[in-house]
Amino acid sequence: MSLAFDILLTIGIFFTAAATLGMRDRVGSVVGFVVAGLLVALSWVRLGAPDVALAEAAIGAGLTGALLLRSSGRLKPVERLISPPSHRFIVALIAAAFAGALAWAVYTASGAALYPALVSERLASSGVTNPVTAVLLNFRAWDTLLEIAVLFAALILVRIVAPAVPQPVALGELMLPFARIIVPMCAFLAGHLLWQGASVPGGAFQAGAMLAGGLLVLMLGGFAAPTPRLMSWGAMLALVGLAVFSLAALGAEVLTGTLLLYPDGTAKFWILGIEAALTLSIAAMLCLLFCGVPRRPLK
Amino acid sequence: MTPILYVLGLTLTTAGVGFLLIAALGVWRLPDVMSRLHALTKADTAGLTLIALGAACLTGRLDTLLALGLCIILVGLSGATMGHLIARTHLSETDSE
Repeated sequence: MSLAFDILLTIGIFFTAAATLGMRDRVGSVVGFVVAGLLVALSWVRLGAPDVALAEAAIGAGLTGALLLRSSGRLKPVERLISPPSHRFIVALIAAAFAGALAWAVYTASGAALYPALVSERLASSGVTNPVTAVLLNFRAWDTLLEIAVLFAALILVRIVAPAVPQPVALGELMLPFARIIVPMCAFLAGHLLWQGASVPGGAFQAGAMLAGGLLVLMLGGFAAPTPRLMSWGAMLALVGLAVFSLAALGAEVLTGTLLLYPDGTAKFWILGIEAALTLSIAAMLCLLFCGVPRRPLK
Repeated sequence: MTPILYVLGLTLTTAGVGFLLIAALGVWRLPDVMSRLHALTKADTAGLTLIALGAACLTGRLDTLLALGLCIILVGLSGATMGHLIARTHLSETDSE
């Protein structure tokens, strides 16, 4: 029964991916991308990785889809591109080689099974009971700190490119009751995801994406216009996560002598504190990636 | 799990799949945007609600019912709003032509 589901899911992913690439209409392509992302999220659930599934659905499909949709509106109408057969052949060759290398790597990999045993052995000392959060915020917190730095670098790039701030258009009278339910629910679910990340799938990235979704509803519905002042506050908030994480790293260094090694018994407080700051920060960053970062006019 | 809940769950889920199939058929076969929306938004929400209720019966747990209830509310809400938005955009586009 579940085998039939998996086969259907795989066919669905291939089909939507092919449809996304083959579609002439750009908006249709983006919709195909979002659907493919949701199906991939479902496949992560089937692979037993609900954390990745949550992140894929919220960020990979949801917010990336919104970003792509926003960009597609700003681009010129698509022209039918017909590349010469030689180009297509080379592209197909590269893609096939990459897929072959990936398949070979997956089949020959043997070290992957080593990691779960190490994590479960030390899980009790990590301060949380969800192994994914234990790895992300404790054992490999350094990687996560750098990930936040990468996200911040992306934000700086957006600031340099300085896209026009999207102007909200009137969306009709149904938007208000929709926002009245969705926005508080997003805030509530973000808090829930943040808190439950300590024991079951969830965490700062998923919670931040959820919060950003609520903020985008407010912004696009025209309930909170992205004024320069508000966006400057958003930029400050975007910095808070990186700042708190870096300060926590340094504080842990001072207290224990090792970077990001939390003092005994207090790991959960450190992790939750960092994750709370990250949630707000990630939400601000994702919103600013969507609507652009304000620049002061040149004098 | 009691047999009654099991049978009820299977019945609700089957009915839900039927609604979703009708929605898909409507999107595939109907001629224009408005009639497609008409088929999709209602049958889609009904289908998902029935499947979620059926799944709640099959698990037979109250906390699952709460989570699935949240799903039902969110899907119903977003389905109705998105249908409205698509219809609105379609009308303003056909008016301007």
